[in-house]
Amino acid sequence: MVEATSNRLSVTLPSDREIMMTRIFNAPRDLVWKAHTDPEMIARWWGRGNKLVIERFEVERGGHWRFVEHSQEGVDGFEGRFREVTPPERLVQTFEWDGMPGYVAINSATFEDLGDGRTKVVTVALFHTTEERDGMVGSGMEVGLGESYAALDRLLETLK
Amino acid sequence: MVTATASDPISTTFSALADPTRRAILARLAAGEASVTEIAAPFEMTLPAVSKHLKVLERAGLIARGREAQWRPCRLQAGPLKDADDWLETYRRFWEERFDRLDDYLRELQQKEENNKPGRPQRKEKQNGRGN
Repeated sequence: MVEATSNRLSVTLPSDREIMMTRIFNAPRDLVWKAHTDPEMIARWWGRGNKLVIERFEVERGGHWRFVEHSQEGVDGFEGRFREVTPPERLVQTFEWDGMPGYVAINSATFEDLGDGRTKVVTVALFHTTEERDGMVGSGMEVGLGESYAALDRLLETLK
Repeated sequence: MVTATASDPISTTFSALADPTRRAILARLAAGEASVTEIAAPFEMTLPAVSKHLKVLERAGLIARGREAQWRPCRLQAGPLKDADDWLETYRRFWEERFDRLDDYLRELQQKEENNKPGRPQRKEKQNGRGN
């Protein structure tokens, strides 16, 4: 078996308007693609175990998607449009959260066949401005003095 | 509440961190406070150029300058780093939880496929096509 730690999600900031996420899955590319584009399959994981209502899922250029997640914290709607659907390699869609209407990111996912039965999924989220990218977090967070050097280390790693 | 404004302190933090020289300066200061001359030593840069970088870091609240007359040592400030780190952590968690689920689901699917291969005993598993 491949060591699980190598499949950890990596998050980096390749530019001042982007967030890049890389994750390797122990599954062939066709299956990983299907799990992202088949409504019954995506419902099995996208809600992270919470109830997920898929209101729309039109996987085609210009198609509308809308998911509503019902968690203990409340109800969160997410939606967007598909901009590019190129099976089984590339899926580009706009992404918007109901909690921040009008702030749209473009998520481009690339599915790379690693040739050994594994698939690397690289998602780049492109935001309209740096402020919008960084506004994904709440304001008024507590400013603590603890863990500062650990935080710096992690940040420097992310920004490499 | 989530907001996105131009004066977002986290954006200021990240734009200050966007420069490799400034990140190197912060890494240096993580080892302890230092004077401008000490900070400038490893760089092929004039003191005014280094001072400019320090001003950006100071404005972002990432460093503080001592008031001790002559050499005004620079030291790292934790607050904004903590905010930026917390923010990244929130975003990471949002996707990590989903991808971990997907990972489990893909394993489950492949297991099923394996069990259904001809020549193997067919396992009766109820296929639930619906989500959640």
